[in-house]
Amino acid sequence: MMNILVVDDEGDVRDALRRVLVRAGFEVRCVGNGAEALEEIRRAGADVVITDIIMPGVDGVETIGTIRAEYPAVHIIAISGGGNFGDTAYQPTAITTSAYLAAANKAGADQVLTKPFETAELLRAIGRSSGIGNA
Amino acid sequence: MSAAVIAVVVAAHAVLLPVLYVRLSDVVRASHERLFVDHARTFARMLADQLELEGAADPPQRIRDLLDIAILNGDGVYAEYVDGRGAVRSRLGRAALRMPAQQDFSFREHGDHVYFLKLPINSGGRIAELRIGFDEMPTEADIGRALRRMLAVLAVYTGFSLAVALYFGVRLARPIRELQDGARAIASGDYAKRLGVASRIGELQDLSADLDHMRRALVDVNQQLRAEIAEKERAEERRRGLENDLRHRQRLDTVGTLAGGIAHEFNNALLPIILFTEAALEDLPAESPTREDLSRVLGSARRAREVVRKILTFSHKFDQAQLAVVDLVETVAESLKLFSALVPTTVTLTSALEPGPMPVRADPALLQQLVMNLGVNAYQSLGKTGGVVTIGLRRAAGVAELWVRDNGHGMDEATAARIFEPFFTTRGVGEGTGLGLSVVHGIVESFGARISVETAVGAGTTFRLFFPIVEVPS
Repeated sequence: MMNILVVDDEGDVRDALRRVLVRAGFEVRCVGNGAEALEEIRRAGADVVITDIIMPGVDGVETIGTIRAEYPAVHIIAISGGGNFGDTAYQPTAITTSAYLAAANKAGADQVLTKPFETAELLRAIGRSSGIGNA
Repeated sequence: MSAAVIAVVVAAHAVLLPVLYVRLSDVVRASHERLFVDHARTFARMLADQLELEGAADPPQRIRDLLDIAILNGDGVYAEYVDGRGAVRSRLGRAALRMPAQQDFSFREHGDHVYFLKLPINSGGRIAELRIGFDEMPTEADIGRALRRMLAVLAVYTGFSLAVALYFGVRLARPIRELQDGARAIASGDYAKRLGVASRIGELQDLSADLDHMRRALVDVNQQLRAEIAEKERAEERRRGLENDLRHRQRLDTVGTLAGGIAHEFNNALLPIILFTEAALEDLPAESPTREDLSRVLGSARRAREVVRKILTFSHKFDQAQLAVVDLVETVAESLKLFSALVPTTVTLTSALEPGPMPVRADPALLQQLVMNLGVNAYQSLGKTGGVVTIGLRRAAGVAELWVRDNGHGMDEATAARIFEPFFTTRGVGEGTGLGLSVVHGIVESFGARISVETAVGAGTTFRLFFPIVEVPS
C-alpha cells in the first residue's frame, strides 16, 4: 500500500487530507512541521510527501530540498494557499502563490497544487507523481 | 477741454481789454492834447515875439496881417491885439467868438471847443496883450479817430485770439482726450489698446509715446504674471495629482496586502471544507436527503474559492521576466471578437484600433481577461437602456494606449476614487462581486502598465490603460 506523509501546520488541513487519502486507500501519516517531517521520513520512510510550503520552523521549501537530497525516489507534492502569511501579512511585497510554488518546484517538488483543491485533483497529482494509479 | 480754454481766453480778454483800452486811450488823449497845447503855446509865443519885435505893430494893418497869419497857419479861429489905444482883431476866424475872462490852461476847458490864450507884449514900454484862440475840434476828432482805430485793432485782436484759442483748444483737446481715454483703459485693466495719438505737437507725441511705452511694459509684466500664476497652478495641480496617485496607490497596496493575507487564511479554511464535504458526499447513500445539503456546501465553497482567486489576482505581482511579449493589437482584436458575442442587443459596440503591431509585456490570457472585464463593466454601466461602448487602441511616444469608453451615467469623484478597490461596487447585491475592476487593476499593475479613469456624472466613463511598448529587434 502506498505510504503518504502529510506535512501541514494546520490541524484541519491535515485531518481533511488524511480523511480523503485513507478513504482512497493510502496509508497516511501526518506531522505539523518540517522538522517532524524529516524525523518521520527518516524513521519510517514514505512513497509520497504532501507538504505545505509556509510553516513555522523549518519551512516547506527547505523540507523539500532536504528530502529530495536524502531520498531521491520520494515523490513530493507541494501545496500552498498563497497570499501573505504570518509576519509578512502586511508587507506590500506580498509573496504570491505562484512564487511559493515556483520555489517549491525549484527545491525539487514533483507537483504543485494550489489550495483549495478538490479530492480528484489531489488524487490525479498523486497518480501522476508516483506513476501508480490510486486504488 | 476746448470750451474751458476758450472760456479762460474770453474771461481774460473781458477783464484785460477794457483796462488796456482805458489806459491806452488816456495815453492817446494825453499825447494829442500835449501836442495841441504845446503847438498852441509855441505858436502864440512866436506870434507875441513877432509883435513885440515889430515895435508893437504900427501901422495896425501889419498887426492884423500877423494876426491873420495866425489864423491861416496856426489853426487859430480867433486872434486879437489889445493895447491902450484899442483892439485889432483878425477878420478871419469866427466872428462870434468872445475871449472868456480867464484864459485856458488845459485842453477842452470851458466846453467851448476853443483854446484861449492871453500873452502880454512889451514893446518899447508899450504894454499890450495878444489874445488868441485855437480850434480844439480837429484834435478832438483826431483823438476820436485814434480811439476808434485802437478799438478796431483790439476787436480784431480779440477775434484772432479767440480763433487761435479755439483752434489750439480743439487740437490740444482731442489728443489729450485720447491719452486720457487710454490711461483710463489701462487703469481699468484693459492693456490691449495701443496709445497712438496723432498730433503735430511734439510734447503730446512724446507724452503719447511715453504712455504707450508704459502700457507695453504693463502688458509685459501682466503677461509674465499671468504665465507665472498659470505655471504655479499647473505645478500645484501636478502635485495634487501625484499626491492623489500616491495616496491611491498606497491604499490599493494596503488593500492588496490585506486581501493577500485574507486569501491565504481562506484558502487554508476552504481546503478542509471541500475535502471533508466531498468525502462525506461519497460516504452517504445515494438516496440520502443530506446529499443535497452537502452539494450546496460544496458549491458555495467552490464559489468562495473563485472569489479568493480573484482577490489574489488583484494582489498579484508578476516578475517581468515571467511575462511574454505579445501584440496588444492582435490580443485586443481577439478579445473584441469574444466580447461582441456577449454584448446585449441594446448595446452598440464600436472599435477604433490603430494598426499594429504594438508589442507589450503581458500574459495573453490575463490580457484577454482584462479587456473582457473592462468591456463587461462598460456595458453593465449602461443599464437597461443600453448605449455605446467603444474600445480603442493608439500608439504615442513609446506607449500603447488602450481605452474603453461608455456613454452611460458616469460616476462622481468619490466613486471614481474607489472603483479599483476589491469588493467596492455600486451595483445591487447579486449583480456583481465588485471584483471586476480590482482584478483589472491587479492585472494592469502586474504588467507594469498604468490605468486611469476619466468620468463625470452624466458624461460616461473612459478607462485608459498605458502599456510601455517593448522594442523588439526585427
